Amino acid sequence: MKFLVDKFFVMKALLVILILVMMILSFSFTRSVNNSYKEYYFTSLKSFKLQLTSLRNSIAGINISSERDIESVRRQIETARIKLKNVDFWLRYFEPNAYRRINGPLPVEWENEVFEKFEPSYRREGAGLSLAEISLDISPINKDSLDGLIVKSQAAINVFEADSITGQLNSYNHFFLANRLFLLNLATIYTTGFECPDSANIIPELKLMLQGTKEIYDHFNQSFHSMPVTDEYMEIYEKAMLFVNSQPVCFSSFDQFTFIRDYINPLFALNQQFINEYDVTSVNFNDYTLNNNIKSIFDKSLYTPQNIKGVYSLVEDEKTLGQIRHIGKLLFYDPILSGNNMRSCASCHKPTEYFTDTAVRTALQFDGNHKLPRNTPTLINSIYNHLLMLDGKHVSLQDQGIDVITSPSEMNSNEKELLQKVMSCREYEEAFKAFLKLTPEEKKITLNHIVSAITYYDGSFSRFYSPFDNAMNKGSFVSDEVKKGFNLFMSRAKCGTCHFVPNFNGVKPPFIGSEFEVLGAPEDSSFKTLSADKGRYMINKAPQTLHAFRTGSIRNAKYTGPYMHNGVFKNLEDVIEFYDVGGGQGKKIQVDNQTLAGDSLKLNPVEKKELLAFIYSLNEDIIFEDPPAVLPTSDNRLLNDRKVGGQY
Amino acid sequence: MKSYFRITVILICVIFYIRCTSHNKMEYNLPEPMSAETRAIYMERLEKGKTLYKINCSACHGIFTKGRDSIPNFTKDQIDNYRSAVLMARDKKNHAVATKMSPQQLDYIIMFLSLRKHTE
Repeated sequence: MKFLVDKFFVMKALLVILILVMMILSFSFTRSVNNSYKEYYFTSLKSFKLQLTSLRNSIAGINISSERDIESVRRQIETARIKLKNVDFWLRYFEPNAYRRINGPLPVEWENEVFEKFEPSYRREGAGLSLAEISLDISPINKDSLDGLIVKSQAAINVFEADSITGQLNSYNHFFLANRLFLLNLATIYTTGFECPDSANIIPELKLMLQGTKEIYDHFNQSFHSMPVTDEYMEIYEKAMLFVNSQPVCFSSFDQFTFIRDYINPLFALNQQFINEYDVTSVNFNDYTLNNNIKSIFDKSLYTPQNIKGVYSLVEDEKTLGQIRHIGKLLFYDPILSGNNMRSCASCHKPTEYFTDTAVRTALQFDGNHKLPRNTPTLINSIYNHLLMLDGKHVSLQDQGIDVITSPSEMNSNEKELLQKVMSCREYEEAFKAFLKLTPEEKKITLNHIVSAITYYDGSFSRFYSPFDNAMNKGSFVSDEVKKGFNLFMSRAKCGTCHFVPNFNGVKPPFIGSEFEVLGAPEDSSFKTLSADKGRYMINKAPQTLHAFRTGSIRNAKYTGPYMHNGVFKNLEDVIEFYDVGGGQGKKIQVDNQTLAGDSLKLNPVEKKELLAFIYSLNEDIIFEDPPAVLPTSDNRLLNDRKVGGQY
Repeated sequence: MKSYFRITVILICVIFYIRCTSHNKMEYNLPEPMSAETRAIYMERLEKGKTLYKINCSACHGIFTKGRDSIPNFTKDQIDNYRSAVLMARDKKNHAVATKMSPQQLDYIIMFLSLRKHTE
C-alpha cells in the first residue's frame, strides 16, 4: 500500500516539475521573440488598404465635370501614394508582378526575364495609382475604368497577406535583399519620375519614403538584435536624409550625382557586407542575377552578364583560356567564316572602331549591293543585355553569332562547309582538336565551338571603365558640367527613365530583363515617315511591340554612331534634338504607340551641352588590340589569299 | 555435347545482346508521339546531359559503374528544387560547379534527370 502511494507521489511531483519547466520555457520564448517588425508590416499595409478604400469612395462620388471633385480625387491618390511609400520597400521585392498592379508605369508590358528567357514573352498587366493619376488628365474622365484601376490594386494587395510572403518576415534573410533592391532603386528610378507622373511630387515623395524606410529599419533592429542594421549604416542613412532635405524640391535641381556617390553607393557597399556576414540566403527570383561579392553599384559585375565562354564554360585554366581567346581573335578577323571567303565579323564590327562601323548608316548585305535594314550595334558592353539583337531575337551571344554567320544576307555560310574550311587550316585544326577534349559532352567539333571562341574574344572588351565610373567608384574628379549633365539626364531630360544606372541600357533593377521602347525614329532625315522596321513585333506580335527596339547603352556613345536602329542620325546632337522635340510624335509623325512622351523637353543649348559632356564622360578607357598580321594557312591553296578582316 | 555447348553460348550472347539494347532503348521516358528527327535531337541532348552529370555531379550523387548506373531516383520536386537553387545560385558552397556551367549545359543535365527512367 505504501509502495503505491509513493509511486503516486513521484508521478505528481514529476507532473509539477514538467509544468514548471514548460512555464519557464514559454515565458523565455515570449521574451526573446519580438514581433515589432512583422506587426509594423501589417500596420503599414492596413493603412495603405484603408486609403485605397477611401480613394474608391471618393471616385464613386465624383462629378466628372466638377474641377473640385477631380482635385479631391487627385489628393486622395497622392495620399495613397504616400502610404504606399511606407510599404514600397517590401512590396516591390516580394512580388513585383502584384506590385505592378498597385503602381505600374504602363497598362501592358511584355517581359522575358532571364530565368524564363527560353519561353515566349509574358504579358504583364499594370494598374494602380500612377495610371489612375494620368487618367485624371484625359477628358472626359471614365469613372468605371478609373475605379477599375484601383479595384485591381485592392486585389493585388491580397497577395501580400499570403503565408508564403508573410512567413518570410519571421527571418532576417529577405530584409537585406529587399534593402539592396531599395538602394538600387534609389540610384535608378525613385529620383527620375519613372513611375511618378507629377514631377513636382518626386522629391517630396522621396523624403517621405526615406523617412518611412527608416521606421522599417528601426522596427527590424528591435526584432532582430543579432543581425542589426549597424550604427555605421544608420549614420550614413541619416546623413542621406539630411542631404535630401537640404536640396531644392524641384527634381531637376536635385543633385543626383552627389546623392548616389556619397550616400547610396556607400550604403549599398555596407548592405552587401551584411548579406555576406549574416550569410543571407534568397528564395526570391529578384536576386537571381545580382552578385553578393561586389562593393559598388558601378562595378560591372553588379549583375551576371551574358556567358561569353559558351561551350567552354567549365574551362578555368588561364593558359587554355588564353589559347581559346587567341583562336577567337583569328576567327573574328577570318573571312573563312563567310560563304564567299570575303567577309569576316570584323567587316561590320570593326575592332578599332568600338566593334561597330561608324562610316555607314547600315552595313552592306552579303551580295555587296544592298544595305542591311539595321545599324551595326557595338559589341562592347553587349554582354550586359539579357536579350540580343535590336529586336531581342536571341538569348545568348552564341546563338546571335551563329545567326549572323549563317544568315544569307550577312555571312551566308553553313555549318558543314564552314567546319570543313576551318579544319583545313592546320593551326585551327590542332587547336579545336585540343579544345574538343575540354568539352567531353560534345562528340565532335561544332559551330558552337567556333562561335564560343569568338564570343570569348570579343566579350573581353567589355571589362573597361569610364571617367564617370571612376568618379562614382573612387571619387576621382569629373567636371561640374558632367555632374550637371548627369543630373539633367536623371531628371528633366528624362533619359534615366529608360537608360538605367549603371550600364545606361534598358536593364533596370533587379536586372533580370531587357526593356524595349517605341521612339518613332524616322525613315530618313526628312522626318516625313516612320521607319518601316517593325522591330520587336517580328519576334513577339503584340500591339505594344510594333516598332519597339531594345534600349541600347550610352556607354562609348560618342564613338558608336550613327544612331538609332537604322542609323538615321549622324551625331549625338541630332539624337538629343530628336528627344528634345518629343521623338516621332514631336516631329508630327504618326506613331500610335510611342512610349516616349510626345511633348518637348524644352532643353536650352547650355543644357544640351551639359548632357553631351556627361555622355562623353562615359567613354571607357578601352585598350584595343592590333589585328593579327596573318591568318592560318589552309591545305586548300584557293583559301590562302584571303585578307585579314575580309574584303568588304 | 559440343554443339549443345555452342548453342548455349550463342543463346546467352543473344539474350545478353537483346537485354543490353533494350536496356538502352528504355533508358528514358520520352514524350510520345515523337518524330525520328525530334527523337534524335532529344537523344543527343540527353547523352550530353548524362556525360556532364557523370563528370560534374556523380562524385557526390551516385556512382557510375560498368553497365549500370546508381544515380539516385530524384523526384520531380527535387529536380525542380535543384533547378531553382542553381538558377538563383543559392547554394554556392555545395554546387559551385553548377554556377560555372552555361545555361545550356545546365539544361542538358536537368533534361537528363527529368526524363531518365528510375532504376529499381
